[in-house]
Amino acid sequence: MIEIRNVRKSYEGNPVVDDLSLTVKTGSVFGFLGPNGAGKTTTIKMLVGLVRADGGTIKIDGHEPHDTPSREQIGFMPEDPYFYDRLTGMEFLMFCGQLFKKSYRKTENEYGEILKLVGIYDAANHAIATYSKGMKQRLGFAQAIVNDPAHVFLDEPLDGLDPIGRREIKGIIKKLHGDGKTIFFNSHVLGDVEEICHEIGIIHRGKLVYAGDVKQFCNGRTLEEQFVTAIEQERNSSMLTL
Amino acid sequence: MKNIFVIAKNTFRAAIRDRILHGILVFALLFILFTVFLGSISLGEDLVVIRSIGLAGMYLFGMIITIFLASSLISLEIERRTLYLILSKPVSTLELVLGKFFGLFAAIALITLCMAAVYLGVVAYAGGGFDAPSLGAIVLQIFEAGLFVAMVMLFSSLATPFAAAIYGILVLYIGHSLSVLLQYVQHRSIALKAVAKALYYIVPNLEKFNIRNAIVHHMPVDVGMILLAGLYALLYAAVLLYLAKQLLAKKDL
Repeated sequence: MIEIRNVRKSYEGNPVVDDLSLTVKTGSVFGFLGPNGAGKTTTIKMLVGLVRADGGTIKIDGHEPHDTPSREQIGFMPEDPYFYDRLTGMEFLMFCGQLFKKSYRKTENEYGEILKLVGIYDAANHAIATYSKGMKQRLGFAQAIVNDPAHVFLDEPLDGLDPIGRREIKGIIKKLHGDGKTIFFNSHVLGDVEEICHEIGIIHRGKLVYAGDVKQFCNGRTLEEQFVTAIEQERNSSMLTL
Repeated sequence: MKNIFVIAKNTFRAAIRDRILHGILVFALLFILFTVFLGSISLGEDLVVIRSIGLAGMYLFGMIITIFLASSLISLEIERRTLYLILSKPVSTLELVLGKFFGLFAAIALITLCMAAVYLGVVAYAGGGFDAPSLGAIVLQIFEAGLFVAMVMLFSSLATPFAAAIYGILVLYIGHSLSVLLQYVQHRSIALKAVAKALYYIVPNLEKFNIRNAIVHHMPVDVGMILLAGLYALLYAAVLLYLAKQLLAKKDL
């Protein structure tokens, strides 16, 4: 279970995440939505231990993400990931896998299976510098699941993918969910979120606007329509307060 | 320990595949080969010229390569966000810093040994036989490179690659001029003396690693002094890496 309690984070005095509390049940697919600059990426970075919260607590299965060994059970794909261009896809994936105790002894065949799963096995021995944006996105996804993690955090995993790539990645997310993994992801592609998520959280200017069931939130409309309405309402109410 | 090795291996692999590095290395090797010609036009001082310019060239290119590779080691990873992929895994900041350091140090040591092999070949070709005394200078150059990698890595965790390279060059220059600097301020103002003293204790004394002149002119070199310089580099590098780790741990990525 992912538990976020009263978490705050500011950069140079500007609050980015403000008193955020959220619970994500084990085994669910959770979509974290919000306009640009709402605090989604900062939240996900705090969840994987890259950024420290100014206040509040974050627990993943009872462990703080800053506790290094607890990250054995975490997989993370950053937004628009960069890689070591001079390595091949296989070398990079092996490098990532070897940083985990549980995947240290994986064989090249096992790494190859992960690359097959994300659809870039044919380019396994090509330098990453030659990869397209979509291939890099897939490699980013591969390194996020290399350790067979219990919790997978994905920051805009569907960005830069063509429709076929998006369908494949959504298929993998569904498969991971079938294997009992918890998936937490940020996305702007609301149609896809509606299709694969059970629950969503909406954040606006660092504050949680909604957390709960997707269908309940949509209430017969599309997620995109309902999302836009919710954000506009928030903007109007904050303007009235001013 | 495992993670340090894994990161070191990856850093080493990425470093030695750098095309700009290949270009500098080819140029360095050509420069060392060119000393044969310089020796041949030196009126009977072939070996002195070859050893003097050869060792100096090895050192100069070794340091250029070190600055080039180390100045972007941390800052570029922050800028390109490749650190996200490592530090979101069960890797501590200390393991990251040590892994990066050992990987790059191993690459630079290998490059230095490549240049050394060509240098020794050139000396043998010019009739100097196996130039065993030069091995001391080569070992000291590798020690100095280790200290310097740690120093530039520290700058790299604070500043942009360009700024880190400039700071590195400044330290290199001051570090080799400390004794001269102290002599220069002997009869100057107290304030100037204090600044020079402070620099003397803060900046590493890189002249401890320079025995090139002694080697070229067949002066005796104490093995104990070489070992002591190695210990000095080790301790200094440990402090610098600890500071780099502290700085990186405090950064919000």
